Amino acid sequence: MTMTTMTGTLADPPTSTLAATTVVSAPPPHYLRETRLLIGRGLRTIPRVPERLLDVTVQPMIFTLLFLYVFGSAIKVPGIRYQDYLLPGLLGQSIAFGIIGAGVATATDFSTGVVDRFRSLPVARLAVISAQVVGQVIEQILGVVIVTGLGLALGWRPHVTIVGGFALVGLTLLGLFAFTWFGVLLGMMVKSSDAMQGLGFAIVFPLSFLAGTFVPIAGMKLVPRTIAEWDPISAFVAGVRHVSQGTNSTGSWQLEHPVTAMVGWCVLIIAVCAPLALRRFSRTGSK
Amino acid sequence: MNTNQPAVTARGLTKRYGDLVAVDNIDLDVPMGTVVALLGPNGAGKTTAVRMIATLETPTAGSLTVCGHDAVTNGHAVRSAISLTGQFAALEDNLTAWENLLLMARLRGMSTTAAKRIVNSLIDRFDIGEFRTTLIKRLSGGQRRRVDLAASLVIQPQLLVLDEPTTGLDPRSRQVVWSTVRELVGEGVTLLLTTQYLEEADVLADSVVLMDHGRCVAKGSPSELKALIGEQRVDVVALDAAGLDNLVAHLSSLFSLTVSAENRTVSIPAPRGSADLAAIAAAVDDSRVPIDEMALHRPTLDEAFMALTDRSNLSLTTGAAA
Repeated sequence: MTMTTMTGTLADPPTSTLAATTVVSAPPPHYLRETRLLIGRGLRTIPRVPERLLDVTVQPMIFTLLFLYVFGSAIKVPGIRYQDYLLPGLLGQSIAFGIIGAGVATATDFSTGVVDRFRSLPVARLAVISAQVVGQVIEQILGVVIVTGLGLALGWRPHVTIVGGFALVGLTLLGLFAFTWFGVLLGMMVKSSDAMQGLGFAIVFPLSFLAGTFVPIAGMKLVPRTIAEWDPISAFVAGVRHVSQGTNSTGSWQLEHPVTAMVGWCVLIIAVCAPLALRRFSRTGSK
Repeated sequence: MNTNQPAVTARGLTKRYGDLVAVDNIDLDVPMGTVVALLGPNGAGKTTAVRMIATLETPTAGSLTVCGHDAVTNGHAVRSAISLTGQFAALEDNLTAWENLLLMARLRGMSTTAAKRIVNSLIDRFDIGEFRTTLIKRLSGGQRRRVDLAASLVIQPQLLVLDEPTTGLDPRSRQVVWSTVRELVGEGVTLLLTTQYLEEADVLADSVVLMDHGRCVAKGSPSELKALIGEQRVDVVALDAAGLDNLVAHLSSLFSLTVSAENRTVSIPAPRGSADLAAIAAAVDDSRVPIDEMALHRPTLDEAFMALTDRSNLSLTTGAAA
């Protein structure tokens, strides 16, 4: 980049600046490079504040143990071992909880001056948001890996082909990506991490519990059942159960075509949230 | 590039948030190579004004050209030309000074090698060496400010915008920031800064724009502004009430006095500054009245605002804005 010539040393006489700026007027945004640099910035801070990872480490472990050994002792699902029923549900719950993690991280980030500094640089504004999303997805992947590992250690027996394995990974990544976009958008709108915590739980609890995560939808009363039948997390969980345990769900179109439905949900969520987040980010400034 | 092109030209610049008018129809010119200070109390609209200039806010009305580029339609070009140091140290708390500076340089498009070279020179220049590998969150306010300023100078910007560079700093750190800023100005950097301190504007700026309630109340050079605000004065504090009476008796024939019995103080206008101070000191010495304290005072910003906002419905000066 010719920018380096522009900087030179600070002791350069002003004339050199003027000469250089004639050559370098407003370099175009380098989206991928900037996104990569900003993701690096986020990842590098993780070892300095390891407690920030509690929500993707300790919390999923607690939920796994709680449902497997406490609630699970009273839940019987016909035709399937509870471990095999529960683990796809826990993966769905991890994806939903990603909303809170991404939202709180974004709200915290945006309430400090550092994001303003990025916005005042000639950096593509989409790069700042993309880096936020990708960084959060990377953190959430850790949570999913922990749930999967713990589940396997405690008796989850998925039956997957290689293709099925790829499908599972793809579906999970797509789900994480979509719900993280949603969380980042919320975090940008709320702007305070405390408010985001509150709002996040108000959204994520119904989203992850009013779904076929921990108990079968079929046994629920009419209102919760209807909600659960159309909850995107239900589609994800049903999809994972279908691929990993060969279980077919019924009750609504999306439960009968869970993989298609989940892909549809994710595309829809990203298509809505990404432009809104970018607009929100740019609205206070100029193009 | 046209060297006569101004760094900032704003006409009728306005920013509204609902009913609140944060910046109300201000005109602002920052010629290249000069230092302009926006001076005013909290809530005067200074930060909103510089945020519009840095393209962090879109003006509601008015025109704004920064370094030859329209700030609304060509924000990216503006961002390439300027550097902003925000009001609160805008650094990543959980990265070190070195990592922050390197990131800023890389985000400006430099290769790793070029970025490292610049960062090393900035670390020397701003005396950051001893805490270069300390996390920002563990630094003092003054140290953070130095890193913050350095981060704005990974390029040599055509315009450097500093939003309240010394607010919250102890006096020593403030001096360090001032001397750094003066060095930059000496190198020809064009600077727009906001401040709440009259003294700071006086020390650093070629011209001052006084803002209150989003409006431009007055503008001019620091000395023009001070003339507008009122005269300097010398306060002489007597040891006791008897001493005050003696002082008044001796000085009243020589100077025009304002006496505050409560504070045992005699105030004397001193438009010529230290020359008047010397004359008054000689007179006090002649009187042989023991005194507690004698000092030359400039009007405070509070007094300036009282004076200027009370009279702002009158046509103030040649330089006053609409």
